[in-house]
Amino acid sequence: MDRSVNLLDLALGFDEPSPLRGKVVLIEDCVETSGSFVLHQMMKRVLSPHSSDALIFLAFARPFSHYDRVLRKLGCNLSTQKTNNRLVFVDMLMMKCSDGDDNVSGVAKLFREIQGTVRKLGNVTNRNITVMVDDMSLLEIAATNSNSDHVLDFLHYCHTLTCESNCSLVTLNHEDIYSSMERPAYLLQMVCLADIVIKAEPLASGLANDVHGQLTVVNKGMISSKSGKGSSRNKLQNFQFRIKENGIEYFYPGCSRS
Amino acid sequence: MAAPNVRTSSFSRNISVVSSSPQIPGLKCGPNGTTFISTGIRDLDRILGGGYPLGSLVMVMEDPEAPHHMDLLRTFMSQGLVNSQPLLYASPSKDPRGFLGTLPNPGSSKEDKPIAPDLDQGESLRIAWQYRKYMENQKSSIDDYSNDFDMRKPLERQFLAGRPIDCVSLLDSSDLSVAQDHCATFLTKFPRNSSNIASIGRIAIQSFCSPLCEYSDKESEMLSFIRLLKSMLMVSNAVAIVTFPPSMLSPSSSTRLQHMADTLLSVKAIPDGDKELEKLLTGYKDINGFLNIHKVARINTQVPVILEAKTFSMSLKKRRFLALECLNQAPVDGSSGTSYGTSGSCSGSSKSGALDF
Amino acid sequence: MADSIFRKLRDGGEEGELAPALTIEETVVSPFALDVSCYLLANLSSSILAGKSKSEGLVLVTFSRSPSFYLQFLKQKGIVVSSSSKWIRVLDCYTDPLGWIDQPSTGVTEGPSLVKLNKCVSDLKRLFSSVIDAGREMVGDGKTRFSVAIDSVNELLRHSSMPLVSGLLTDLRSHAQVSSLFWSLNTDLHQEKVTNALEYISTMKANLEPFCPSPDGKRNALENLFLAHQDFGKGRFHVRFKLRKGRVRVMSEEYHVDQTGINLSPISSAESVIAATKSLIPKVHFNLQLSEKERVEKEKVVLPFEHQDHGKSTEIYDGRRTLADGKTEATPLSSGELQADVVSSGKGGEIIYFRDSDDEHPDSDEDPDDDLDI
Repeated sequence: MDRSVNLLDLALGFDEPSPLRGKVVLIEDCVETSGSFVLHQMMKRVLSPHSSDALIFLAFARPFSHYDRVLRKLGCNLSTQKTNNRLVFVDMLMMKCSDGDDNVSGVAKLFREIQGTVRKLGNVTNRNITVMVDDMSLLEIAATNSNSDHVLDFLHYCHTLTCESNCSLVTLNHEDIYSSMERPAYLLQMVCLADIVIKAEPLASGLANDVHGQLTVVNKGMISSKSGKGSSRNKLQNFQFRIKENGIEYFYPGCSRS
Repeated sequence: MAAPNVRTSSFSRNISVVSSSPQIPGLKCGPNGTTFISTGIRDLDRILGGGYPLGSLVMVMEDPEAPHHMDLLRTFMSQGLVNSQPLLYASPSKDPRGFLGTLPNPGSSKEDKPIAPDLDQGESLRIAWQYRKYMENQKSSIDDYSNDFDMRKPLERQFLAGRPIDCVSLLDSSDLSVAQDHCATFLTKFPRNSSNIASIGRIAIQSFCSPLCEYSDKESEMLSFIRLLKSMLMVSNAVAIVTFPPSMLSPSSSTRLQHMADTLLSVKAIPDGDKELEKLLTGYKDINGFLNIHKVARINTQVPVILEAKTFSMSLKKRRFLALECLNQAPVDGSSGTSYGTSGSCSGSSKSGALDF
Repeated sequence: MADSIFRKLRDGGEEGELAPALTIEETVVSPFALDVSCYLLANLSSSILAGKSKSEGLVLVTFSRSPSFYLQFLKQKGIVVSSSSKWIRVLDCYTDPLGWIDQPSTGVTEGPSLVKLNKCVSDLKRLFSSVIDAGREMVGDGKTRFSVAIDSVNELLRHSSMPLVSGLLTDLRSHAQVSSLFWSLNTDLHQEKVTNALEYISTMKANLEPFCPSPDGKRNALENLFLAHQDFGKGRFHVRFKLRKGRVRVMSEEYHVDQTGINLSPISSAESVIAATKSLIPKVHFNLQLSEKERVEKEKVVLPFEHQDHGKSTEIYDGRRTLADGKTEATPLSSGELQADVVSSGKGGEIIYFRDSDDEHPDSDEDPDDDLDI
C-alpha cells in the first residue's frame, strides 16, 4: 500500500502517521484544472486500512455514487468504510440555509451536527478525525440567503475542532471566482486559517495528454505547540501531475515519464 | 479535419459496449457507468466522446452578438422530441411555446450524408486500424441515437403533437421560484434508481440571466437556482442545458456558474469580411461562428478529458446541416497542425485574443 | 530591537498617561503575527514572574487560537500555568464566540485562570468589563497594574464596526490599571482604513514585510503567497515607535521563522531601510515651467549647430575662419573684447564656440553611426 508515497504525500508529510492532526488544508483550483483529485487522494489516505482514522465528508458538489466509483478505482471502498463507522458521508446537495429561523442559522445547525459526529467518532483511541468539504463556494451559495459572514463563522467553528479534538480540516475552493475581487475576504480568511495551501492550475502552455497541470504546495506551518520536526515549515513545493483512474502521477517539471 | 482523440486506451475499451445498447432508444452507454444522450449535433457527440451524460448540467456562454447558442438549444430539443423524450423549455420571452416552431426537422440522412465523406478521409489518415471497427460500429448504431437536423425545415407536427412539453416563461414571475418548481416537478418524473432507465428528460433554459428578467439583478438567487438544478440533476435521468450571457453577470458569479457546469461550452461570432482571418482559415466563407469547449463532463471519474482542439468552427453543410470542424489554419508559422497547442485552438491566429475567453 | 518593544510593554506608561499600545501587522504572505505575539507573551510572562515588570499580571484575550495552544506554548518555554496561577488570566473568545455550542464541552478543566466567554464578539462593552474584571481579580483594586494581550482583532472587526473596536482598545488603554496593551491584525482582511485607524490609536507598530515584495505594488495578496518561493518565512521586521517628544523611531531587523518560533537578526545587507522617512524632507524645487516671455526669448536663440540657411554650404560659426572660406569677411575673434561688447550691447545671449583643431569637421546631417559595421 505504501509503495505509493508520492510527491504530494511527501509534501503533506504522509511518510509519518497522521501528519495532518490539528491542521487545516486548503485546496484551490480553477475552471481549467479541477483540484478534486487531491481530495480523492487524501480521502484514500485517511481511510487507509493501516489506521483507524475517520472521515466526515460534506458533499456539496457530487453525490455519493460519484465518490464511491472514483475511490473504488483508487482501491478504497467507501461503502465498507461507511458500515465500519469510519466514514460519515453528509449529502449536502440540497442543503438550504434559510431553514433555520429560530435565531440559529442553518450553518450553525450544520456545525452542531458535525460536532456531534466528531464526539461520537472520537471514542476510538488514537483516532484522528478529518472533516472534508468538497466545495466551499457551493456552501457559500447555499448560505448566502442568510449572510455570507455565517460561512466564515462556520469556518471559525470548524477551526475550533482542530484545537479541541485535534481534527484535520480539508476544504476545496475555486480561486478564480475571487480573482476579480479586490479583497476577497472569504478566500483570504480561508488562506489565513490554513496551515497548508495546495493550488492546482493548468500549465502555462495549456493542457496536454501527459501533463494535466501543476500543483503548488505552500506549507505555512503555523507555529505549533507540539514540537514537531522543523523540516516541513515554510516550504513551497511545485510539481506537475497526471491524473489516472487508479492514481495520480507526480513529477518535477520536465521529468514526465511518458 | 481531425477526429479528436478524446480518450485514453482504457477509456475506449469501455465505450465499445456501444453495441449492446440499452433497451430504449436514444441512449448510449458511456464509460464509468454513465449513459449518454445525443446533443443533436453528430460532430458534437463525437467530440464530447458520445454526447451529454445523463445527470449532467451543460452551460453555454452566449455571445451577445451571435445567436449560435440557439442552434445548440434547437438541436438538443429536437433530438429529444424525435426520440420521444419529455422536454422542459424556459426562456425570457412572453410566449416560449412559439420557439418550438423554429425547431429543426431531422434530415433524410440516406441521400445526403453531409459529413460522412469528410470524416472518412480524416479517419483513414489518423485512426489506427483497430479503431475503425469502433467507428463503423458507431455509424451502424447511430441512427436511433442521433439524427442530422435540417436547420431550414421546421420540425414536423408529429414530433410535437401530444408530446409532454412544458414551456415556462422566465418573465412571468419576479423570482425564480416558478421555474424552480417546474424543474423540480419535471425532474421527479425521472428518478435515478438501479440500473434500468425508464425514460429521460431534457431541460433547456435559454438566456438564463437575461436582463429582461426581473430577478436578473439578484445574482445570489440565480446561483442558488443553478446549484439546486445541478443537485437535482445528479440524481435524475435527465440533462439540462442552460445558456447565459456571461457579460450580464459579475465576473465572480460568471466563474461560479462555469464551475457548476459539468460540460461548459461557449459560442462566438466570427467577424465578417475579415481579410486576415480569411487568409488564416480555410473555409472562412462557410464559417458562421466558433464553438469553444472548455470543460467536458467527468462523472464518476477523476480523469480530465483532454481534447486535442478546443475551438471548432460552426458551419452549415449544404446550408442545412450543422457541422463542427477543427480550425484548419493555413500553415503560416510552421504550425503543422499535429502538435497540441499550435493546432486547432487558434492560438496561432492573430484573433486569439478575441476568441479565447 | 524586538527587545525594545518588549521593554516598552513591560515598563508600561507613566502614571496618568495612556498605556503604550502595539499593533502587530501581518499579511497573507507573511502570516507570522502569531509568532511575534507568542514571543512577546513568553517574555512578558517571565518578567512578570521574575517581578521585573511594572505590571503584575497579564490578561490574554484569545480569538484566533484556543487557550490551550498558548498554555502549551508557555509550557514549552518553561512557564507553567496552573489553574491557580495568580499572574495570568486567559479569556477564551475562541471556542464559542457566537454561542453556537449548546452544551459546554467536557474535558476542559476550567480554573480561575481560564475564563470562557460566549457571544463575546458583538458585545464589546461586556468584553471590556470582562477584561477589567479579570485583571482586578488578579492584582486587586489598588494601583497595581496589569498588561492586556489580544491575539487577533480580525474576528472582532468582522463582527463589530471599526469605531466600536477602536473604542474598546482606547478604553482599555486609558484604564488606570492597564499598564500596556498589544494586539495583532492581518491587514489583508480589512480595508486600509481599518489598518490606519488601528495604527492611529497605537503607540507602536510592528510590521512584517516579506522578502520579494510583489512586482506591481498591490497585487492580489493570494498570488503573492505563491510568488514568495523559498523566501517564505523570511523578511523584514519594521517597528515604528511614536516617542513622547514627538519623534518617530524607526527600526528594522530581519526575521526568519522556524519551528521554534520567530528569530530576529540585524539586517545583513547594507541597504537603507529608512527610505520612508526621506519623503518628509521637502524636495528642492526646480522650476521646469517657462513663462510666455521666457519661452519667446528661448525660441529666438539660434544655436550654432542649427543649419541656418538652406542651399548654402554649411557655415558654422566657431570663432575662427574655416578652412574653406578663409578669405571671406569672417572677423577673427580673439576672445575677450567682443564678448564683452556683445554682453554690454544687450543684444542677448550668444554661444561662443572654439573649434579645437582643424581636423574636426563642422556638424552635419550625417548619421554618426553610418560607418558602423554591425
